[in-house]
Amino acid sequence: MADTQLLLGLSFALFALGLVGVMVRRNALVMLMCMELMLNAVILALVTFSLETATLSGAVLVFLIFVVAAAEIAIAIPIVLQLSRQRSSLDVEGYDRLKG
Amino acid sequence: MTIDQLLVYFFGACALLGGVLMLVARHPMRVALALISCMLSLAGIYAMLGVHVVAVFQVLIYVGAVMVFMVYVIMLLDVRDPSFVRRYGRMLVPGVVLGALLAGALGVSAIRLGAPAIQPGTGAAPSYLVQPFSVEFLREYWLHFELTSVLLVAAVVAAIAIIKSGRRSDG
Amino acid sequence: MNLLTVIVLLPLAGFLLNGLLGARLGRTFVSAVGCGLPILAFLATIKAVLSLQSAGPDAALLEVAYRWASFGDQGFDVAFYFDRLTAVMTLIITGVGSLIHVYSTGYMKDDPSYARYFAYLNLFLFFMLTLVLGRSLLVCFVGWEGVGLASYLLIGFWFEDPAKAAAGKKAFITNRVGDAGFLLGLFLLYWALGTVNMDEINAAFAAPIAPAVSASLVGVLLFIGATGKSAQIPLHVWLPDAMAGPTPVSALIHAATMVTAGVYLVARLHGIYEHAPEASQVVAVIGVLTAFFAATIALVQTDIKKVLAYSTVSQLGLMFLALGVGAYGVAVFHVYTHAFFKACLFLGAGSVIHALGGEQDIRKMGGLWRKIPITFGTFAVATAAIAGIPPLAGFFSKDEILWFALASEHGGSPILWVLGSAASLMTSFYMFRLLWLTFLTPSRMSHDTEHHVHESPFSMTGVLIVLAVLSAIGGFFKLPRFLEPLLPMPAVMESLEHYEHTLVLVAVAVAFLGLAAATFMYRGGLARGEALAARFPRLHRFLDGKYYIDELYETVLYRPLHWISDRVFLGLGDRLLIDGSLHGLAALTRRASGRLSRVETGQLQWYVAMAVIGVVGCLVWVWRHG
Repeated sequence: MADTQLLLGLSFALFALGLVGVMVRRNALVMLMCMELMLNAVILALVTFSLETATLSGAVLVFLIFVVAAAEIAIAIPIVLQLSRQRSSLDVEGYDRLKG
Repeated sequence: MTIDQLLVYFFGACALLGGVLMLVARHPMRVALALISCMLSLAGIYAMLGVHVVAVFQVLIYVGAVMVFMVYVIMLLDVRDPSFVRRYGRMLVPGVVLGALLAGALGVSAIRLGAPAIQPGTGAAPSYLVQPFSVEFLREYWLHFELTSVLLVAAVVAAIAIIKSGRRSDG
Repeated sequence: MNLLTVIVLLPLAGFLLNGLLGARLGRTFVSAVGCGLPILAFLATIKAVLSLQSAGPDAALLEVAYRWASFGDQGFDVAFYFDRLTAVMTLIITGVGSLIHVYSTGYMKDDPSYARYFAYLNLFLFFMLTLVLGRSLLVCFVGWEGVGLASYLLIGFWFEDPAKAAAGKKAFITNRVGDAGFLLGLFLLYWALGTVNMDEINAAFAAPIAPAVSASLVGVLLFIGATGKSAQIPLHVWLPDAMAGPTPVSALIHAATMVTAGVYLVARLHGIYEHAPEASQVVAVIGVLTAFFAATIALVQTDIKKVLAYSTVSQLGLMFLALGVGAYGVAVFHVYTHAFFKACLFLGAGSVIHALGGEQDIRKMGGLWRKIPITFGTFAVATAAIAGIPPLAGFFSKDEILWFALASEHGGSPILWVLGSAASLMTSFYMFRLLWLTFLTPSRMSHDTEHHVHESPFSMTGVLIVLAVLSAIGGFFKLPRFLEPLLPMPAVMESLEHYEHTLVLVAVAVAFLGLAAATFMYRGGLARGEALAARFPRLHRFLDGKYYIDELYETVLYRPLHWISDRVFLGLGDRLLIDGSLHGLAALTRRASGRLSRVETGQLQWYVAMAVIGVVGCLVWVWRHG
């Protein structure tokens, strides 16, 4: 089995990249895609652990994550669409109506 | 160094590259393509590891449904807005710093953690081929399976509600 | 039977009834309750005196009303004590008080606040009785403060006039300054002797082992309190201003009763003063100086009530002179005679003012002897009494004071006698001056006033007659002898013993000299007096300005205090520190919350960053504790 540590390291790196992308990019859709990247990193980690411990539960959880990701994207996109229609732009820096 | 290992390293490098490109590209379409390539590389890794089921469904669902939808939306919207001109928000430096911190913290945690709780060994290794996996999946985890269908129904209802309210406010 | 408690509570009931119901139930009810209850108290006092007489010369009635405070096995009681001294004081208070209440029904007939007046007057009687009947200094102090309160309420009775209200305030505040001394003396006594009961205090000082506190110190402190209440130097400034109140009030409170509270206090605590020669000296010196000094001011006063006010201050000085040389019984004798003739004089002045429709300036009076003869007659008798013309009451008491001032072994000296006699000479002079200018000279009244002049109703003149009779015959009752078992007369210096009769003749001569001088100066009117004043303009101005003492107090005391209150306490303490800290606290909160609310930027990416910081923190925590 390939280097567990390598795969985990890759997973952490991808997760961190996705997180940085969420924090840094201004386009709403790009933010969503970075969140997908984070999910993917998590899936990689789960698969690694599943192989490591030779059980199925990791892979099963991966399936559930697929479903959740699909549902999430199905709702997130319309929300972003509504937002962008209100502000006529996809720039998240403009979405600050909740400013206290 | 077998070819398997080399391929895993290769796909890993591709995935990383895709992730970095996501952060750097300006046009959202290029970002989407970078993500797709990253996902495909990950699918390759899963395949090399022998988890065929996950690799297949990664491509089918994630790339085939989620990313296609995303690409469709990108094509739909006008992307030449302020976020196109200026890619990065004001959290650029803090974001990078925090990301590095998080990665470091995760790494240190992983090093400290040591052996996993569940020990491998007893019984045969599970098979990740489609048919044996599915049988095992639905035998043990059928409830989770059914609950995901509930989740999907909820997602559909929510999507319709959002679009409908949007249409009313447009009207 | 709780006779003493009844005596004290009857006027209190009058206060409550008139105060709460009087305005609704009409003048007749108010008069009946307001006069009736003091008269009942007087009758009850007579009964108490009779039972006291049957018990012996130095007996005393003692009633404990209730326990005020207990701590451990000690405590303070509200108890009433009735011996011969108290009997004299109580009879004066209830007797003369009742007469003045009856007079007031006539004098205050047209006043809209009739019920309030009688309520306050009854309240005053209640507190004054508490003062003289109290066994302990604490109960006495309750009465002491209470009469100060009643005095304030009554001086400022017509409070819509700010000057009158200010006079009330001045009286109360000046009293309070004296009360500081009283309280310090009280505390010292309790600390040293463990008791505040006055009879026990006297016994402690007479005991072979002297108490741990200096008698002179306590004596001086208590005398400071007496100074405030009885208008001696330096706290005399309130009494002339107190003439702003209705005239019956001036008669009752500022002539007959309240101002004698200081005299009563020193007389009652004679046990201390007998063993405190320095304190007694202070008392005597201040007394005689006040007597002299107030008499000089009275020489030039032109308001009828102010003349009488300064005369009261002067006579009180003579009473303190007597106390200071150890003649306690004689001082009380003078209280008794002074109550009669001074009340008669004040009420007579009230009658004059009532007849003239409010005029009080004697330069605008004259020729009244035909028009208001009863007032004139009683006023003349009282004037003769205060001047010391024998055989009227004033002669007996004043003569004894001057004799002991010279001859007492407990501090008598020729200087005291000279100053006291000079004060008596001036008293005779200015009182006859008052009589001449008010009644006997040709009229200087305005035409309208002259038509208006009429004799007062019987409620007023009747009282005047009674008081005049008492002023005439009161001196024949030998009060000092009556009080001797309690208040022994001081020993007389042997070398001077046979001068007693000479001094009597000198005193009589002084009185007639004053009468003659006044007749000479003022028989024709104001002319001679004004000529004399023109010859000594600065002296006249100095006396007329009351030695400028009010102005001195204003500059030395009032202005610095006002400045401190305004700048330091108000500006610095209140506005800067207290308000500032409160406002500062509020401003701090507002600024802090303003700064904190910047966390809510409304921007999603900021919130994500916050979450990541939290996650990293959790991971680090797990390293340390997990």
